[in-house]
Amino acid sequence: MAAPLTVVLIVAVTVRACLFRSSLADLIAERVEVVSPLNAWKRVVEGLALLDLGVSPYSGDVFHETPLIIYLFHFLVDYAEITFMVSSLSSHIVLYCLLLSLIVTSCCLFVDRYLLNPFTVLSCVAKSTCGLNNAIVALFILSTIKKNALLSAIFLALSTYQSIYPVTLCAPAVLYLLQRQYIPVNVRWASFWWFLLQYAFMYLGSLFVIICLSFFLLGSWDYLPSVYGFILSVPDLTPNIGLFWYFFAEMFEHFRLFFLCVFQINVFFYTIPLSIKLKEHPVFLIFMQLAVISIFKSYPTVGDIALYMSFLPVWSHLHRFLRNIFLVSCVLLACSALFPVLWHLWIYSGSANSNFYYAITLLFNVAQILLVSDYFYAFLRREHHLTYGLYLKRKDGSEATLVLK
Amino acid sequence: MKIPTLLSLFAACFVAGSANIEENVGQFFSSGHTNNWAVLVCTSRFWFNYRHVANTLSVYRSVKRLGIPDSHIVLMLADDMACNHRNPKPATVFSHKNMELNVYGDDVEVDYRGYEVTVENFLRVLTGRLPPSTPRSKRLLSDDRSNILIYLTGHGGNGFLKFQDSEEISNVELADAFEQMWQKRRYNELLFIIDTCQGASMYERFYSPNLMALASSQVGEDSLSHQPDLAIGVHLMDRYTFYLLEFLEDIHPASKANMNDLFKVCPKSQCVSTPGHRTDLFLRDPGSVLITDFFGSVRKVEITTETISLTDPIKQVEEIAVHGEQEKETYSYVDQLPVSEIIHQKPKQKDWHPPDGFILGLWTLILLVFFKSYGAKHLKHIF
Repeated sequence: MAAPLTVVLIVAVTVRACLFRSSLADLIAERVEVVSPLNAWKRVVEGLALLDLGVSPYSGDVFHETPLIIYLFHFLVDYAEITFMVSSLSSHIVLYCLLLSLIVTSCCLFVDRYLLNPFTVLSCVAKSTCGLNNAIVALFILSTIKKNALLSAIFLALSTYQSIYPVTLCAPAVLYLLQRQYIPVNVRWASFWWFLLQYAFMYLGSLFVIICLSFFLLGSWDYLPSVYGFILSVPDLTPNIGLFWYFFAEMFEHFRLFFLCVFQINVFFYTIPLSIKLKEHPVFLIFMQLAVISIFKSYPTVGDIALYMSFLPVWSHLHRFLRNIFLVSCVLLACSALFPVLWHLWIYSGSANSNFYYAITLLFNVAQILLVSDYFYAFLRREHHLTYGLYLKRKDGSEATLVLK
Repeated sequence: MKIPTLLSLFAACFVAGSANIEENVGQFFSSGHTNNWAVLVCTSRFWFNYRHVANTLSVYRSVKRLGIPDSHIVLMLADDMACNHRNPKPATVFSHKNMELNVYGDDVEVDYRGYEVTVENFLRVLTGRLPPSTPRSKRLLSDDRSNILIYLTGHGGNGFLKFQDSEEISNVELADAFEQMWQKRRYNELLFIIDTCQGASMYERFYSPNLMALASSQVGEDSLSHQPDLAIGVHLMDRYTFYLLEFLEDIHPASKANMNDLFKVCPKSQCVSTPGHRTDLFLRDPGSVLITDFFGSVRKVEITTETISLTDPIKQVEEIAVHGEQEKETYSYVDQLPVSEIIHQKPKQKDWHPPDGFILGLWTLILLVFFKSYGAKHLKHIF
């Protein structure tokens, strides 16, 4: 079932080209599940138009992308479709190389999961800059796997610069690179601290350089509150597939800061416990961290989901230990189908309200969380079996079962 | 012999008749008004406030029956009970249980409906300050010879009346609106009836002349509803308006009943609350004011070829001093289009380009990273 790479690429390009030329492209570009105020193509065009009129693109609440995106699209705005297609394809190729290095067994190489994933197709056709973000994250992971600390730090800095949340991927990257250099993760070892310092220096240095370069592009610092202030303080409550909008729409003002902190900390909170538990398995940690970011970030879209879902074939050997995969896949499919239905019922027919849409959002996120925790459980169980054997026996010889406490 | 008798009888009748005509004509002009208007407002929405809509429609029905045409009635209903989906008898609004009296009928003309019934619209109707595009049916086109009946019903409190569950009108605002109407000569005499809880508080602040007010309850009392209908499931009318309707059903256009009878409608034994009235601002004696002066508008017409000399029965009302003439300012339109700018075209904005320093810095960095990662040995492949 391993389709050759070229066939997959040709099919993907065909699908995307057909969709770009059809009338569905406009429809998809407006859907709130696919685009968010952060990465909508319409807003990029608005920002560039404002720039042509001599006004800062960050004035008014329209454009929330980073200045490097301005620079990129200043030349490529007429070739946007090709740009996004190329970024999709390159992410796929990168992931292909990545998965080739990671997958221990060569069977069931479902590497076409990224490109032919309907979420990715939708995201690409909508020309959301999520595709570019995914490409950068994929390059970061590839460079980490290829043990290139400098490139890994630079790509991580780039993806953090785009949206703040990938900073949590620092921990698995450091863990992976330490592992490959046979430096134990122990606070008493000097080489651990030395490597950590090097990596932190490279990462922070490149982040600093990129931020200063962005300053020089427009000559002002007002992109900082527009981009990072927007991501962190969530002023725009357009419905999306995330958890923030409904809560903050009905919240009293004097609780807003508190709940904002709670919700944002939720994204960063799982890094340290997961790193401690998974310090020998940094690749799985990257997957878990990506999933946590995609679920709990302030403006998620289906493009973020596509990224971590494309990693699932790496752990196809865990399938025998997964418990909820049927439920999760049914719920995800059902929710994906119900999103446009309930949106229509809410906004156009007026016979539903935001509660209906948020219920589906909640269910979708619950299913994702269940998926991620199921994989985590399966991973840990496999590790346990690797240590203690597959068929467990009690002391008196009778068969024992493993129970998750 | 017969002819002179007949002639004398005829003359006697004629003289008697003309004296009668004089008296009738004297009565004809005793009230001083030439046209009648009615502003009937129901301020509450939602199905359980059915009775307020029924109240207003009962008064509408009486007023129309007694002769005021729809063009002179401004009917404001905040909700549509007849076509409410909870109405088991659609297109009807009953005022009596066992569905004896449908006050909705076939020819109801509602001028302000639903969300249009707001405090602002009500005050604009009263004072006449409506946008020029407002149709005639939504305007109170009264003049200084109009007698106006204003009927308000809904939920109220001490000094206010609630509109649409979201805003309220206070008694001070109402009094000021009536004063504006007086100063603009928009009424001759005005009868104000209010059927809400603590309704008497709404007329406490009136200070303009020729106002007579009735309310269904005093301050501190609640106006109660009359009877629920088990088939429809809500209370159908308020007590005061129910007995008012009963009283008005006995009035016909030629009736001589006067205001003192109206004050006696719904005593405490029937209404539980104490209805109140205020006549101190009214210049005529309430006993001489006919019910039909406000509720009806039909005039009895006697055709005669005689000339009749009228003594002046109307008391002179005091003339309010008119303010000194304002200086007229000339107004001119502000330019809508910046024509001068369009004519003298501005040069087209140049497209934005990223600064050179930025491009230089960025590509230098990219090259540096590339060579650091892949080594300078690859240079020989390029050159």
